[in-house]
Amino acid sequence: MADHAGRAEPAVRREPGLRSVVGADYETRGVTKAFGDVTVLRDVTVHFYRGEIHSLIGENGAGKSTLVKVLAGMLPADQGELVLDGQRLPALTPRDAQRHGIYLVPQEPRLMPDLSVAENLYLGALPTWRLGTVSWRRMIDTTEELITSVGLRADPRLPAGRLSLAQQQLLECARALSHGCGTIFFDEPTSPLTARDAERLFELMWQMRDQGLTLGFISHRLDEIEAVSDRITVLRDGDVVARAERGTWTRENLVTAMIGRKLTITRRAERTAGPGAVMVDVEDLVSPPEVNGMSLRIRAGEIVGLAGLVGSGRTEFAETMFGIRHPASGTVTVNGRNITGASPRKCIDAGLIYLAEDRGRNGIFADVDIARNATSAIVGRLPKVAGSFVRPWKEQELAQLAALEMDVRASSIAAAMKTLSGGNQQKALLARWMLAKPRVAIFDEPTRGVDIGAKESIYSIIESLVASGLAALVISSELEELVRMCDRVYSVYEGRVTGELAGDAVTLEALGQLAVGA
Amino acid sequence: MTTAKNVTAASPARRELSMPPRWTLLLRRREILVTAVIVIVVAASTAAHPYFWASGNLAFIFADSVVITFLALGESFVMIGRGIDLSVGAIMGLSAIVVGFRIQNDGLPLLPAVLLGAAVGIVLGLGNALLVGVVRLPPIIATLGTLSVYSGLEFVVTNGNQVDTIPSSITNLGSDTVLPGIPVILLLTLPFVLVSAWVLRYTTFGRSVYAVGDDAEAAYRAGIAVQRVLFLTYVISGLFAGLGGVAFLIYTSGASSTTGINDNLTAIAAAIIGGTALTGGVGGALGALVGSVFLTVTLTALSFVHVSDVWQPAGVGVLVLLAVLYDSRSRAGGTRRRAKRQRQGGPR
Amino acid sequence: MTTLALPRRWRVPAWGACLVLAIIAELVYFTLTTRQFAGHGTGMLDLTEQFAPTGVLALGLAMVILTGNIDLSCGANASLAAVIAGTVLAKGGGPGLAIVAAIAVSTLFGLFNGIIVAFVGIDSLLVTLATQFIVTSIATSVAGASPPFGFSSAFQLIGQGSVNDVPIALLIFLVIALAVIVTTGYTGLGRSLTLIGYSPRAALYSGIAIRGSLTAVFTLCGALSGLAGVLLAAYYNSAQPDIGTDLLLPAITVVILGGMDIFGGRGRIGEVVLAVFLLGFLSQGMLIEGDSSLSITMITGLVLIGALVIKFAFERNLRQRLNARMRRFRTLSRDPHGPEGHGS
Repeated sequence: MADHAGRAEPAVRREPGLRSVVGADYETRGVTKAFGDVTVLRDVTVHFYRGEIHSLIGENGAGKSTLVKVLAGMLPADQGELVLDGQRLPALTPRDAQRHGIYLVPQEPRLMPDLSVAENLYLGALPTWRLGTVSWRRMIDTTEELITSVGLRADPRLPAGRLSLAQQQLLECARALSHGCGTIFFDEPTSPLTARDAERLFELMWQMRDQGLTLGFISHRLDEIEAVSDRITVLRDGDVVARAERGTWTRENLVTAMIGRKLTITRRAERTAGPGAVMVDVEDLVSPPEVNGMSLRIRAGEIVGLAGLVGSGRTEFAETMFGIRHPASGTVTVNGRNITGASPRKCIDAGLIYLAEDRGRNGIFADVDIARNATSAIVGRLPKVAGSFVRPWKEQELAQLAALEMDVRASSIAAAMKTLSGGNQQKALLARWMLAKPRVAIFDEPTRGVDIGAKESIYSIIESLVASGLAALVISSELEELVRMCDRVYSVYEGRVTGELAGDAVTLEALGQLAVGA
Repeated sequence: MTTAKNVTAASPARRELSMPPRWTLLLRRREILVTAVIVIVVAASTAAHPYFWASGNLAFIFADSVVITFLALGESFVMIGRGIDLSVGAIMGLSAIVVGFRIQNDGLPLLPAVLLGAAVGIVLGLGNALLVGVVRLPPIIATLGTLSVYSGLEFVVTNGNQVDTIPSSITNLGSDTVLPGIPVILLLTLPFVLVSAWVLRYTTFGRSVYAVGDDAEAAYRAGIAVQRVLFLTYVISGLFAGLGGVAFLIYTSGASSTTGINDNLTAIAAAIIGGTALTGGVGGALGALVGSVFLTVTLTALSFVHVSDVWQPAGVGVLVLLAVLYDSRSRAGGTRRRAKRQRQGGPR
Repeated sequence: MTTLALPRRWRVPAWGACLVLAIIAELVYFTLTTRQFAGHGTGMLDLTEQFAPTGVLALGLAMVILTGNIDLSCGANASLAAVIAGTVLAKGGGPGLAIVAAIAVSTLFGLFNGIIVAFVGIDSLLVTLATQFIVTSIATSVAGASPPFGFSSAFQLIGQGSVNDVPIALLIFLVIALAVIVTTGYTGLGRSLTLIGYSPRAALYSGIAIRGSLTAVFTLCGALSGLAGVLLAAYYNSAQPDIGTDLLLPAITVVILGGMDIFGGRGRIGEVVLAVFLLGFLSQGMLIEGDSSLSITMITGLVLIGALVIKFAFERNLRQRLNARMRRFRTLSRDPHGPEGHGS
């Protein structure tokens, strides 16, 4: 039976529910994918087997997320083929993929906040009754069953917006099962989860695997990968560089494969001058529920790191310092001034800047040119005539100088920000913040979504700024990054500082242990 | 990335999210709240002016609300889908004019008149539907444009005349009462309200409107034909506006070139008071009914306490502000509305 | 060696050019087909008196739309200002007092709008919807049974007088236009407004004073609505309480026709000014030709829709060309990230 587009419908009638879902043998053969003239996947062949958890690892930009999007029909491959149970699949849309039993649990589950859990589960495929009317009774009952089977305990009639992120992810899993999908890919599901929530997810995944489902898993955390996977494929810069089955890998081999060189973290040279005066003094900052009493101190000329899993409250802490969130109690003092609870504007004027974690949403003005992006933080302090009227030419020159200093690569500062790569966007944002002449800077995931070349660039920029007296706080999930740059590192777990390492004690192992609260 | 996590608790009971028992939920529903306020207003007005409670007066009030109920009903469909229709008043006016002339000049009986009104409404609603659903103009601009065009058409069609003679066989529907205080015309609106409520709750189309209003992109990815759903909501809005035009004729037995021009925003106000939000995803048909009755009752009560008619628009404005303030307060803690609103803003 | 060139000093805006061409076309058309249009050469200038108030209103509205908001009450605000000016004049006050009182009141309502939108956080569509109703009632109430008319000639000069054949109303409009262009393009406030329109969140994180800027822009819109109301009262020599409400639709049309994005951010005030003239001469020409003012409303609606359809098609074409340019101007260093910016 083929639909009007000539695509073959799968012969198997799929029934929802964990017990009756079956995984498929799914492989990509020679898949190549490029965005513009940048090749993200190059001749990638990966085989996902039934009854296995197959993990994809690789650095940022290696192509993992793109690969699973191709697998789930979200993106078309330029070349290569997808083979499901021996049959070559024609071009896929997400709907087609679902009909074939393939489902992608996205990085950020996106649910309809006002619709009930049950409706979210059955979105687009509501169970019907006579004459095509919606059968609420059946929907709620089966929802109850499904979500319990994935470990989600919530009333199906609840508006989905009230679920926590971890619960929403479980709901996405339930969605996959409700569509009768047995081949499920997880795109970095654990990044925003606490350790406990991640455990629950793994238990579900193991259950699914034992039932014979086919599971693909992407994560940055090697200890998770090692604990969970039956098979690992390593991607690097769009190529498959290594494959390993359970029992045949070592941590070192994996890391080497991922970054292509023996891991030598060169710590930057010890500073010649000792750190200067205390620039930032935070006492017992509380902003429930994520920030539960954090204190730290940063001196001029020092790079302090905040380590911890995503979700430990570090970004929320930074946002509380910067005035985006309101502190319930505690104090923040910058350069002698008490700025507790002050607006972002007042913080900037006091010398504190914050390079936001979510660049796309909170950082850039996508459709605006680089120049105006660069001057957006100093709108009140632009070079002016008669005290009020901006001199646009001077403004452009100022922006150009700042952007050049930060090594932004683009043809012109009139180019729209969205046309820049991630790395250049980040550098342009650095230009913006440096124009504000800060004394203290918080860098939240400064190299996320940034390619290797730009990463080095950003590291050296930060280091030279610090050498001239800036006090820097770096929030990062990449422990290597922290080890490389920081003089001291605080570890954060569930909104509290759980430890501090300084100088030579800042090592990967030590950080890793502290970060997971051990 | 902020998450509302159930952090520290180890006990499973903490992690479970349950709904309060159904009856408390029912009590908290917007429609019930507004009805309660209506009862309070009626009680207070009767205390101040016993005539308020007289059956003739109540019938008058309910009949008065019928036109706005139709407009608000159609508007609700559109608003739940996160759109807006600024042309409903003009559509109603045009329908009243076209049908009115046919009744006046050609003696059109009631049932064909209703069908004609519906047809006019559908055709005019198609204009909006094409602009928003096919051409994909922002709803504010599209319906503003059609508002101008349809308002102008009202003048063109009347051509200097007006509708002023409707046979009493028809207008009696507006004044006759079934039970004391319940005009026939109110009963005529009830089937439409109930059918709409049923469609919104029990058909896949109806649920799709909520889905599209809540997150159009996610709805699209789930396989919902977003543009088609939006298209249909505007056709429905036109349909109800057309029916409202017939109701207008029944109730006021006349129509002119300025009919309906000011009713657009009153319809939106009624829908908002009844619980439908501009950001979409919530609301319903009963809310339209309750909202418009509430508006009419309150405005009539105001005139009973000798507040001049001049202040009626102000009354609507204040009520809308209050309703919206109440909404923003009660939703502040609950769902992720703010996140959704930040993503896209209003229905523009 | 990186390039990062400075932009060329001045580029011809495409949409503005289209508008200019359209204006020329319609002026030529009307001059040729309608005898009274060009008058004695200065006839065209006199016509601008009629739509100068709409233009002033549109300028205020444009600033609000720049931030991604809307002010549905500006027309009613203008009506109220007209009524207040008329009432002051009728009670014996001088033109100066009348103007000040009128603009003061409308500014206050603008401030009210601004505070509710900026500090209470309610969507501007809803707030100004409600305010429109409230202000309409107040205007009707103040105007009373017999709205004021027949004002002093000094006052009428504003709306009907000219200096060297150039109508004063037109001069006022152009001065305000210049002021708004300078404010939005060359001041800190203007920068803030545009950035808020492009991305309120990014503006927040950049330390832009969102609440202050929004309050200011609504207040300015209120003030300009007041000025529009004064011009209306002077031109028509009467102050009916709905004198300004009819201007809302044309004002919004003009702003959109002028290329502003209803979602905020994009748009040039200069092009809005051009659109004022385009639509203004269009309505005036049609009026002189003998079309009723109501088919003009229809045509306005059609022009709005037509212009937008063209613009959307225009932009889709532009977007394709932009994508091609994007691929060429990609960074020199190897970058495995697509336009999305993120990647794993």
